[in-house]
Amino acid sequence: MRANSRAECDAERKKIQQAFLDGASVHATLQALCEMAERNTQEGLQAASHAHNLEPEGLAVLAIGGFGRQVLFPYSDLDILLLFENVRAEQKLEAVLAEFTRTLWDRGFRVSSAARTLEESKRVDRENVEFHLSMMDRHFLTGDQTVYQKLEQKVLPRTEKVYRSFLHEELIKLTKRRLAKYGNTIFHLEPNVKDSPGGLRDFHASTWMRQVAGGTSEIRGADIAERDLALNAVDFISQVRFFLHYQNGRNDNTLTYELQTIAAEESLGIRDGIKRNAAEWMRIYYRHARTLHHQLQRSLSSQSITSHSLWQKLLLAGRPPKIELSPGKPYAIRNGQFDILDFTAFSDRAAVLALLTEAAQTGLELCRHAERTMAYILFHSELPAKNREISWKQLRQILGSDYPGVALRPMQRLGLLTEVLPEFALIDSLVIRDFYHRYTVDEHSLRTIEHLQALAEPSEAHDVPFSTLWKTVERRDLLVLSLLLHDVGKGMPGDNYISGGLDALKIAAQRLHLSPEDEAEVRFLIEQHLEMSATMQRRDVFDPLTVRSFAAVAETRERLQRLCLLTYADIHAVNPEAFTPWRAEMLLQLYLATANLLTHSLDSNRLHAPVEEPLLEQLRALTGCEEPGKIERFLEGFPRRYLGVHSAAEIANHFGLYQSLSIELVQMELTSAPYALSLTLLTADRPGLFATIAGVLTSWGMNIVKAEAFANTAGMILDSFRFTDSSRTFELNPGEIDRFRRNLTEVLLGTTSLQSPLRALEVASTPKIPKVNVETAIKFDDNSSEQCTLLEIVTQDKRGLLYLLASTMARLDCNIEVALVDTEGNKAIDVFYITKKGQKISEVDQTTLLDALQKALI
Amino acid sequence: MKKIEAIIQPSQFNSVKDALLEIGVEGMTVTEVRGHGRQKGHTEVYRGREYTLDLLPKVKIEMVLPDQRVEQAVEAILKAAKTGKIGDGKIFLSTVGDAIRIRNGEHGESAL
Repeated sequence: MRANSRAECDAERKKIQQAFLDGASVHATLQALCEMAERNTQEGLQAASHAHNLEPEGLAVLAIGGFGRQVLFPYSDLDILLLFENVRAEQKLEAVLAEFTRTLWDRGFRVSSAARTLEESKRVDRENVEFHLSMMDRHFLTGDQTVYQKLEQKVLPRTEKVYRSFLHEELIKLTKRRLAKYGNTIFHLEPNVKDSPGGLRDFHASTWMRQVAGGTSEIRGADIAERDLALNAVDFISQVRFFLHYQNGRNDNTLTYELQTIAAEESLGIRDGIKRNAAEWMRIYYRHARTLHHQLQRSLSSQSITSHSLWQKLLLAGRPPKIELSPGKPYAIRNGQFDILDFTAFSDRAAVLALLTEAAQTGLELCRHAERTMAYILFHSELPAKNREISWKQLRQILGSDYPGVALRPMQRLGLLTEVLPEFALIDSLVIRDFYHRYTVDEHSLRTIEHLQALAEPSEAHDVPFSTLWKTVERRDLLVLSLLLHDVGKGMPGDNYISGGLDALKIAAQRLHLSPEDEAEVRFLIEQHLEMSATMQRRDVFDPLTVRSFAAVAETRERLQRLCLLTYADIHAVNPEAFTPWRAEMLLQLYLATANLLTHSLDSNRLHAPVEEPLLEQLRALTGCEEPGKIERFLEGFPRRYLGVHSAAEIANHFGLYQSLSIELVQMELTSAPYALSLTLLTADRPGLFATIAGVLTSWGMNIVKAEAFANTAGMILDSFRFTDSSRTFELNPGEIDRFRRNLTEVLLGTTSLQSPLRALEVASTPKIPKVNVETAIKFDDNSSEQCTLLEIVTQDKRGLLYLLASTMARLDCNIEVALVDTEGNKAIDVFYITKKGQKISEVDQTTLLDALQKALI
Repeated sequence: MKKIEAIIQPSQFNSVKDALLEIGVEGMTVTEVRGHGRQKGHTEVYRGREYTLDLLPKVKIEMVLPDQRVEQAVEAILKAAKTGKIGDGKIFLSTVGDAIRIRNGEHGESAL
């Protein structure tokens, strides 16, 4: 058919559209659209020449860009190049070309034309790299063929040679900029099927990269299955793009929620006859998008194609590769990324996890080759898998690291994450429609973790306070597990996704053998994951009542810290604009006020045992104690924090020690905690007790990093210390543990005197120069507690500090009723609730104590 | 036509929005803002470090209404935003010359 009017063209377009809707293939539809465009271009030029009675000598019309590679969608621009022999030809044909483009516009083509002379084509316009990339896909349409031949044979071979590496670098830059614009993820809830990661542009970009590199458009190193996967993906996403153009009636490539529903109803791109809802259909879309995106990632990570001179080649050959080998390990660090040396070792899951754990600890990613090799091993059965069972102990090493996301990402891509946490599969590529979220649920969940690990080096000022929280948070493993599971309920039937998430946790906890306390903590975080966000948005965060009611939810500062980080991450991962400085201030204010309240209300918030019936029941079962009132007497009067920081099993253990107090006056338990040792001690209260224990630990060369002192109504104290043993005294000489116990007991009973702890320190080691200087701040507060004066000391941490402070207080007859001692890097943050003769500290005594403490700290 | 700008406590935003919806005011622009009037700033000392907010978080709601609906809307905002404490915010009214709907070029109150 000869199309020479808008009506005829429109009729032909309609015919092509109908054929597509009736099931014509992507290939056939593209071909039909291209043929139509080519024919009209040829006729257009012919008609324009005829009208002006001027032959188009010295002009070649070329199809470039999408038109050039014969991939023309219904409303795509018609990219054409008007190539002139010289400036004279361009000037001569000016009127013909005006007529030519007008004709095409009149026939309904959106012409996007560029004009160049052969001379101009010898240079690359550095400001318009996109044009040169579009030139990579070109073919002759009409006009003077000799001009085109000159371009192909004389001009371009030289230009491409000179500018090859420049074009390659620019292409990589443009590609990375495009991917970054879309958050470097394919998992957009409403993706752009052309430009967002996983879209058709990914396929074209990787094709161009290969062409620039070596002239081949084939996927380097890909097997037939991979090539088929990529071609299927292109076919599927092209069908979607056709569908979007026809539905929107314009060049709009956004796969909106509404169009996802229609595409699913029409089973677009699927031939298996199974009806799917929109969420299920989108999972198929993401699968194809993932294929194209992986292919692009591989092209991006391939070696630079810069052509080297002979001299450069010789230099490069002599340069050793940047590789760090670890003896006995089947992997190594090559150019700052982990690579696999012995792939056979990776049939053992233990080796896989060891590599992933090291990645999570160092923040170094797996190189593409390593991930590909691992994928091969995991999915091919030639090497039977060993040690498939992954324990919580192994998993928590990854989750508790500084960079858990660095391991969790490849774990997700390799299917390992769902192997160890099948509950995560419920939200795989899951689209939940709302106005705020930009990513699928699994992507959102992984992003929460990546936002936290990015706090190692915060880029925005409003992220800095949260960076400190991330670096000092306890049980990071539980926080990260909560983030992985906090939204899995969205993939389950029912309206209450939080309760779905809790059900999933129950199953996961059983499988992973999580302790009841760990499970309870994750349960709390999942259950309350919206609470902090809701409080800061709906309540006045400056109102003490809001703070008090929120503190009652959080219970302890440690838990509050985890909840705050979870909230930070959850808001951040909604979309790139969600965590505004405004929100950061609100969240921080709520955290600070609540943390202060929790620290300053320990004394007033005490346990009244008879009302703790569920706990009492649990303790009776754990201890077997049937004596009425005994457990109640033990618990009565402890600060409530005691319940928050100790599990029921630990409390039962403490109760056992309490019962033994009738046999021996000092009871203690020394255990090894992660990265530190832990001492719990029970005895009757007496003046200077806390200082004495701190003194004994110091005299043994131990560095106290955390301590708490609690007392019950009956005057029994329960002190716990966490300390590091940098000389490895106990590890290398286990016999010393008994000697330490004896020494501590004898000092506390007064049968041995305390050796001068600080002198022992001076003998043991030379003081280290601190990396960061912390200014000392000492503050008294008479308002927070009814019975005690609160003393808060923030100062430079150093060996023996706690002993120094506690002994200064003891010397001035100040009794420590409650203590909370903590360390953040080089900063010691100690809070003491103190009394003198059962009363608050008078103003005069406060001045004396302040003076003494300042002198002691010099 | 009048433009209403209300600077309110973030915690009262939902109540104000609901109150406006209840009287049929559906169009509004909401911005997260910071500022202070007599309330001044706020300082929290945490672990030896001072965290000072000179400007406190507030929410600004803007809307343009026909003159006859302004009083009712102001009443609704006042009622919903008031907690009785310092920092409840302010309402500003100003006259608007014209309104134009971008989609179809409509002018005046019918464009609201």
